[in-house]
Amino acid sequence: MNKRIQKKGICLILVLAALLTGILLAATAGAEEAGLLRTAVTYDITTMDVAKTTEDYMIPMNVFDRLFETRMEDGTAKLVPSLCTEYKVSEDGLTYDFTLREGVVFSNGNPLTASDVQYSFERLLVLANQNTDIPLEVVGGQDVMDKKAETLSGFSVTDDTHFSVTLKAPNAGFLAELSSPAMSIVDQESMSDGFGVDPAAMIGTGPYLVTERITNDHYTLVYNDKYWGAEPSVKKLVVRVISDANTQNLMFQNGELDLIDLDKQDSAIVQSQYKTVYADRIVSVRKVGLTFLALNESNEYLKDVRVRKAIGMALDVDTMIAALYNGDATRENGIIPTGAWAHNDSLEGFAYDPEGAKSLLKEAGYEDGQISFELSMDSTATGSIQLVYQSISQLLDKVGIKATVKSYDHAAYLDLRGSGKMDAFIARWLLDYNDPANIMLTFFGSADNTLHRSLNYPDAEIIARVAAAPAIVDDSQRMAEYQALEKKIIGEDAAWIPLFEDMHLYCLGSRVASFTPQWAGFSDFYVTDVVLKD
Amino acid sequence: MKRIVQALLVLLLVSLMLFVMLRIVPGNPVAVLMGEHANQATIDRLTAELGLDQPIHVQFFRYLSGAVRGDFGTSYSLGKPVSELMGTAFVNTLLLSLAAALFAWITGGLCGLLAAIRKNSIPDRLFMGFSLLGISMPVFMVAMILQYVFAYWLHWVPISGTADWRSFILPAVALGWNSAGSIARLVRSALLDTLEEDYIDTARAKGLGKSGVLFRHALRNTMLPTVTMMALQLSALLSGAVITETVFSINGIGRLAVQAITARDIPLLQGTVLFSTAIVIFGNLVADFLYTVLDPRTRKEA
Repeated sequence: MNKRIQKKGICLILVLAALLTGILLAATAGAEEAGLLRTAVTYDITTMDVAKTTEDYMIPMNVFDRLFETRMEDGTAKLVPSLCTEYKVSEDGLTYDFTLREGVVFSNGNPLTASDVQYSFERLLVLANQNTDIPLEVVGGQDVMDKKAETLSGFSVTDDTHFSVTLKAPNAGFLAELSSPAMSIVDQESMSDGFGVDPAAMIGTGPYLVTERITNDHYTLVYNDKYWGAEPSVKKLVVRVISDANTQNLMFQNGELDLIDLDKQDSAIVQSQYKTVYADRIVSVRKVGLTFLALNESNEYLKDVRVRKAIGMALDVDTMIAALYNGDATRENGIIPTGAWAHNDSLEGFAYDPEGAKSLLKEAGYEDGQISFELSMDSTATGSIQLVYQSISQLLDKVGIKATVKSYDHAAYLDLRGSGKMDAFIARWLLDYNDPANIMLTFFGSADNTLHRSLNYPDAEIIARVAAAPAIVDDSQRMAEYQALEKKIIGEDAAWIPLFEDMHLYCLGSRVASFTPQWAGFSDFYVTDVVLKD
Repeated sequence: MKRIVQALLVLLLVSLMLFVMLRIVPGNPVAVLMGEHANQATIDRLTAELGLDQPIHVQFFRYLSGAVRGDFGTSYSLGKPVSELMGTAFVNTLLLSLAAALFAWITGGLCGLLAAIRKNSIPDRLFMGFSLLGISMPVFMVAMILQYVFAYWLHWVPISGTADWRSFILPAVALGWNSAGSIARLVRSALLDTLEEDYIDTARAKGLGKSGVLFRHALRNTMLPTVTMMALQLSALLSGAVITETVFSINGIGRLAVQAITARDIPLLQGTVLFSTAIVIFGNLVADFLYTVLDPRTRKEA
């Protein structure tokens, strides 16, 4: 009887196993539909509304257009016309007259008018959430944000395709700012409470429509047949939310993803696998951003410029990036990164000179290794950046500086940095738009800014010059001013130690013919830049 | 009734502890939400708008009054009502947990039964080896191995997601293997103990066949600890599928919790933790109830 029961049990297991195997074997992947592009992100977007985010730009970039776009040409970011075809700037640099492209309609068929542009500017101020800085530059901006006025007094609509904008102060980078996804143009008539949440409410003039969004799972974009530009190769985009990088990696190799962002992959996997097996399918673009070692001048040791310069001389940046980034990063020596307007190629950085560093420390009275400070690290730092932290700590140790790496939870890290009390940390800034004002103002534009970025840069005169620089109307004068400021802040004051700019790498699947990543200040991309194989 | 009141008190205590903890740890959730490019003025303005600058007791009572009405607020990081997000996620977690529990109960039960019947035989060693492997291997490792072999290498099932029912097979096995191992070992040892009891000898002496002894007497008594364990395991599976959901990209409660922690998303974290606590409490209540149903002695004692 015992054997009978055992046999029955074994039979049951075998039947179940056979059934399962049969079902699994029957499930074969079908051919992918033509024009479909599949990619993945690590985190889902918070909102589709640019008025409420400075990071989730994939939908704004592909569903909406701006007056201008920033595109990469020959490794340099260039401003190109988009919804605006012509513009004229007044001699005082305050008033801009714009002409809109004729015949552009939103995806619901509504024509694009100058009133939509005005509404898009004002909406950012009325919501008073994110991205208010640019429309605040327009005359009357503060009144709209403070609810003292309903419309921007500095915005004047002449007719459906002509309008002018008057700024409170000249800003030579204004046009570049208008290319930021923050300045996406929305349809005033169809605006609803569901904007940002409901896919159907996302009415733009861009090449795609949002047809589906399932939180934490995926969203889908399809071609907008009312788009004014050339018809793109990709007719449908599915963006999956895959939080595990290894799963993304397997999906790409399995043919379930057509495009993978290698920024999210472990650098060891990128080097050992993608750079070998898929070497011919990797495309890259400059991030137009800077990674640097920030030094807090309110720290008892770091307030001495000799100590800061010694730190710069103690770091063997070239060897560090060669070892950790394997040719996918270039050394930076200033504030304005390579690829950005006004970048200074001839700027000399801190030469690696540990003996010189020791001499400087001796001169500053710290020859006996008294200097110690905390090197704060965000717990979300990538593997490569964690290695950079370790390298810096070890290199500083060689010249007698004890920099202890301490990891903080992301929120606690931001809190400490915002308090102005973080000693030293590695920071990265990717430009939102192609103008040095973006990075200069953020870190050195006011005493408050240098405090909240834990730099505590003390030179009020330089801070005033940084704040005034955007108003220089003449491009060559403005470039000269930024480069002079850069020399002073970094070369003379060593307010931070510039490290490198790394490349943004993508790998293309077998269904993709080409992809030219463009403005890479953001992690997102223009889907129109992807060409699929027939 | 007493148990239900106790359960509600535990829930209240957990929410209070979580609420206080989330507010005393350093870090402004608004700064995380706004990202690197937000300026301090924007952060301050939104902190006030969300009421995070108000005294902690005001915030707690506002939260509590919403929670009793099923309103857990809006997720900072996903921009949707927490109750809506949890509703969708719960369906996925429930499907995954039920599939994992079914796998664990069927596989574990059968392995334990066959191992006990053929004690010290090769099948016994094989089944116990299978269970030991399930108990000792970390879930993430099992998940990655299964993913690699069955999805990447053999192409039998999708690597991740919830597009169709096949997507749940690997996560269910990864999540349920540990439970299957525990159940197999429990069934085996409980059955072997029961088979040694005097009343089994009596049943045999009365001329009852081997299957009759096994199914009518031995197995029924083995069910008591097994069913209790199964009920507790189901609640643990429902509240503890964090790693499995992350590796297989399943939009479940566990993955929401991870996202909430990373983004310091207070409403979402409170919602998911409270939900997990409620599930564990409910699982315990069910286990207690089943125990009284299966064992008449406990009813008398009660």
